[in-house]
Amino acid sequence: MKNFKKVALIATCTAMLGGAVMTTANAANWLMLQGTERDGQGPRAKIWGFIQPEYQSTSDTKIAAGPWAGQKAIFNQMRPDLKAAEGFNVLRARIGVRGIAMPLDSNVNYFLLAEFGNNGITRQGNGNVRVTDASVTLNHVKGARLRIGTFKTPGSEEGLQAIHVFDYINFTGATNGLLLERFFNGDGSGTTVIPGAPPTFINSGDANRPNGPVGAFRDTGIQIFDTFKNGSWEHSYAAMIGNGNGITRGENDDNQETYLYWSSELVYGGKGGRREGLKLYAWNQKGKRTLTTEGAGVYDRDRSGLGLTFRKGKHRAAFEYITADGMIFNGTDGGAVPGSPSTAGGGAVTASFNVATTGEADGMYVHYGYAINNNWEVDVRYDEYNRLTNSTAGERKFETVTLGAQYFFNKKSRLIVNYELRDAEAPNLPAGANPNLILAGMDDRLSLQILTIF
Amino acid sequence: MLLALLASPFIANQAVAAKAFADTKVVLQISDPNPFKQTLVLNVASNLVKAYGQDSVDVEIVAFGPGLRLLFAENANKGRISSLAGAGVKFSACANTTRNMGKKLGHPPALNSNAVTVDAGVVRIIDLVKKGYTLVKP
Repeated sequence: MKNFKKVALIATCTAMLGGAVMTTANAANWLMLQGTERDGQGPRAKIWGFIQPEYQSTSDTKIAAGPWAGQKAIFNQMRPDLKAAEGFNVLRARIGVRGIAMPLDSNVNYFLLAEFGNNGITRQGNGNVRVTDASVTLNHVKGARLRIGTFKTPGSEEGLQAIHVFDYINFTGATNGLLLERFFNGDGSGTTVIPGAPPTFINSGDANRPNGPVGAFRDTGIQIFDTFKNGSWEHSYAAMIGNGNGITRGENDDNQETYLYWSSELVYGGKGGRREGLKLYAWNQKGKRTLTTEGAGVYDRDRSGLGLTFRKGKHRAAFEYITADGMIFNGTDGGAVPGSPSTAGGGAVTASFNVATTGEADGMYVHYGYAINNNWEVDVRYDEYNRLTNSTAGERKFETVTLGAQYFFNKKSRLIVNYELRDAEAPNLPAGANPNLILAGMDDRLSLQILTIF
Repeated sequence: MLLALLASPFIANQAVAAKAFADTKVVLQISDPNPFKQTLVLNVASNLVKAYGQDSVDVEIVAFGPGLRLLFAENANKGRISSLAGAGVKFSACANTTRNMGKKLGHPPALNSNAVTVDAGVVRIIDLVKKGYTLVKP
């Protein structure tokens, strides 16, 4: 009887502790985490998701110069609506289901996820709910797994990682500008702004808005990938061919996108999205984009990057350097909200989104985080984005220092507070030039977000 | 397929020998489709070995029904299973379940090399309980 009680006690304690340990279901190896299920363990259908309500605020400094002087500056407005500098939003609300359709056969698994929040995925185009991920993975050939459908492309850590383990609220400048792709029909050249001169236009009413959801670091195609373990090291590769057209679109121009990815990680221990390790990685994405209206043509789009992530004990760090050639998202005319009529020139010109089809750019970020205890973590990030480095007049340099704090209510829910010290300039233009006067009005930004995953 | 299973060298009602001097005997049942239960039953086995000592406790995990996936050769826990087997924990796989799963798969599932096939998982559990084992179903 004594032994029976002891056995019962051990079983009970194990069940209680097991429940806590097993909540960490992710893996820092995003290719495997998102593309596969654990052999012999995958559920038939696991329902999961996350919600991210948030508050953001800037001082709403207005445009200081140029044809849209006195109007709202786009960089001080809340995304995705661009109507107010302060407010609440449910940025992401996603629910999905994943698993192994036939649990006896781990060789085939699936992943389905839909977005219900208010962001660039749901706001652009028609419809409020979008399927962001819908893929099937075939694991029959070890070393050459195949994933087919719509899913996150192998690339930058900031884009590839699960968003619910992201330590910040807003993406870095380079990731936002170069990798979170907006898809346009034209390059925005219908409105042309030359500093010191009245704006000119071809089509004064065209704001050149995106023609659908942002890419969300995803594409539709086929990926071959796998991970190989060698002692404490884990080496992963992925090669993918996709439409290069983001989500909810098919192919539009017979030009396929290619993606290449490699990572090598020294695993210190643990498991899940917060597994401890040192990961080095490099990636490339190459394709073409076809514009059909202003600036019609076919343009190269090339992105590359390399970086590392580190996590051990109380310390977390990350670094990434990104280069870009072609199809550079180039902000809006005069820093105005697209669709705004110009103040000068009798209001005849509408501000539009712009794309520098042959532009070049680069950027980087450095992140460090420190876990004070199980509840509190503090973070600091510096990021730099150099837009249109091949254009003396058009080059813009953005620098942001983000101070962050996270309070973990539990392993599934946390509060994130960010304060971004934001600076931007046109480095090759005089301080008194309109672009520099406008960019001087870029406010710091306060953001608060609750994140819960279920 | 039935003949193949019957011919298997692993099949034997008493193939899993008990530890002669163990004064604590536990049979752990895994028959649940929930994958978390796989980790849980292994955790319980591990904790029993730690608490009583490898030579003083006889732990046998009997897998049948959907729980048999724990003993699939490529199960993600195969490393832990190997480690526990090294510590004296025994693993029994239900032949009835194996046969039925084979029908669905079109071929018998490959089982972990540490698993010993028994005719029926539930019968194995009852037999062990009759011999004084404590049944625990985490």
